[in-house]
Amino acid sequence: MHINFRMFACLVAPCLLLATAAPAIAQEKTGIKEGFVLKPGSARIAMLEPSVRVGEQSTGGMFEPNADWTDQAKENIEQQLRASQANLGNEIVRLDIDTIPEGKELTRYHSLFGAVADSVIEYQFFKGNRLPSKKRSEAFEWSVGTDLRKIEALKGYDYILLVRTKDAYGSTGRKLLQAAGFLAAAFTGFGTVVSSGEHTGMAGLVDIETGDLVWLNADLAMGGDVRTAEGAEKRVGQLLEGFPGAPGAVQ
Amino acid sequence: MNRPLLAAAGALLISTGAAAKEQPLPPFTLGYEPQTVDERGMWSEADEWEKSVKSSTLRVDDEGLNAYVREVLCKTVGTDRCDGVRVYVLNIPAFNATMSPNGMMMVWTGLLLRARSEAELGAVLGHEFAHFELRHSLKGFQARRSASDVLAWTQVLGNALQVDTRNSQFSLIGSLFRFNREQEKEADLLGLDYLAQSKYPSRSASEVWQHLMEEADATATGRKIKKRHRYRAGFFDTHPTELDRADYLLEQSMAKGDTGDAGAASYYAALSPWLPKLLEDQVRLNDFAGTEYLLNSIAATTGWTGELLQARAELFATRGNPRDLITATTLYLNAIDVGHSRPATMRGLGLSLVKSGKRSEGAEYLRKYLEAEPGAPDASLIRMYVPDERTAK
Repeated sequence: MHINFRMFACLVAPCLLLATAAPAIAQEKTGIKEGFVLKPGSARIAMLEPSVRVGEQSTGGMFEPNADWTDQAKENIEQQLRASQANLGNEIVRLDIDTIPEGKELTRYHSLFGAVADSVIEYQFFKGNRLPSKKRSEAFEWSVGTDLRKIEALKGYDYILLVRTKDAYGSTGRKLLQAAGFLAAAFTGFGTVVSSGEHTGMAGLVDIETGDLVWLNADLAMGGDVRTAEGAEKRVGQLLEGFPGAPGAVQ
Repeated sequence: MNRPLLAAAGALLISTGAAAKEQPLPPFTLGYEPQTVDERGMWSEADEWEKSVKSSTLRVDDEGLNAYVREVLCKTVGTDRCDGVRVYVLNIPAFNATMSPNGMMMVWTGLLLRARSEAELGAVLGHEFAHFELRHSLKGFQARRSASDVLAWTQVLGNALQVDTRNSQFSLIGSLFRFNREQEKEADLLGLDYLAQSKYPSRSASEVWQHLMEEADATATGRKIKKRHRYRAGFFDTHPTELDRADYLLEQSMAKGDTGDAGAASYYAALSPWLPKLLEDQVRLNDFAGTEYLLNSIAATTGWTGELLQARAELFATRGNPRDLITATTLYLNAIDVGHSRPATMRGLGLSLVKSGKRSEGAEYLRKYLEAEPGAPDASLIRMYVPDERTAK
């Protein structure tokens, strides 16, 4: 009756992290809907609260959330997103979900975007995972459904921009374990590959009229220390890489 | 079979002696703020989760019901304590409640249907509150982290030295589940302290588990599977067994010796506006014998009300054997006799009659259903059974 659902995951995850070598080599990072063009300067984009999680990675590989780092990173990332608006060449307005009457619906869409984005990363960006019917097609066809336009608070906007990051900095213990696994290979010949740290992020653009995901940028190994202003600038730069419609963006 | 029984009896004798002294409740601070890095991290994640729970479609967004569950919590743990908790009722037809480190309590509707009194509900809510007060989420997190740290080193070093560490890994994993079971027992016992100090009788805590076992037995009989209750928890069990809990909770409450009004009548009176919905969801679980058991247990307190008759009728109509339709028809008629003639009653009765071959009699009731609910989602389907409606629309 207490929360145990994650217990299995927590037990199994460290083992997996130890067993697998550096992941995600042959992975695509950006998807864009076929033929999609955003005219620079004319689109109105609503941005939802970025989802930011920052913490440490324990020796055994568990995520240890850190409230201070998370707050700091949230502030840094929001600030960098505001600063980079000029570079995107469009009007971007930050929507505060808590204060709009349809916050409930929007929160649910927020979760849905996350689920769709996860599917894109899993089943589109990793070519080997593609469904049989999509194996040969390079088409980028993902949607959250057409009801998005019914949300009153989104009237007047053309797109929604979503940003999500998760950072788990390798703890000292994790780094020692990594070194031990490496040294063991040198001295005994039986090493273990231990990855340290996890830095993932994604940014996506959804067409409010059709509900289509028109652009997604996701990376499972991102750079920039989001706890610092400079790092957050680098991170936001990476997140918005290839943003359609930005002046000078590759279309 | 005898040895675990003896061992459990021995353990109970020891613990009874310890409980004879009245245990004071642990100190409690209102508006507690998380202290360490770990705790602040867990609270911050839980706060984010709570935001999504608030907007979840699973949430029963009914102020009255949420307020009532909260009231029972407050009566159990005391008003000073319950101020630190937000209660969310979730529409999930299974027996459960959960507690987050930041004071978010989630109560599933299946629990509301199964509790038979305010005291039984309070026993479960008090148990959840005890997890919060004892900071079990934090301690559990730290235990998992320590164990996985050791596990990781065991793997790397074992690999380097080519030593088989599977046994140590296995016992580490086992120790985590055992740790969780110990936390659950700790929460059970503190929950019992709350109940004993409230106006509710602490004996109700044991009854919760007795009733769950009876229901499981009924379900097992209905599904022709083996009934199974054990004292000893298995390796991967996160909680003590139901039998164990029923046993030690009864023993402890006898030691406390408190009495009080469990509030059965007031419980069903307060629950009555939501009972039809809870019963409807239960009937859909396709657990005929278990649902029969639940209906009978509620009727033992409230008598066979229209709502219960209707739910029982739906249960038989859903199974739908020819003889079940006769029972269903009778039960629908009985419900109408006691003044329960909702549109759903007309619909169920009409369909049972039509399926039994009594088309014209059934059509009469279905017409009444359509008159009451012309815009019902299944209206066009139902019209097919009503001759003149079929041609008119």
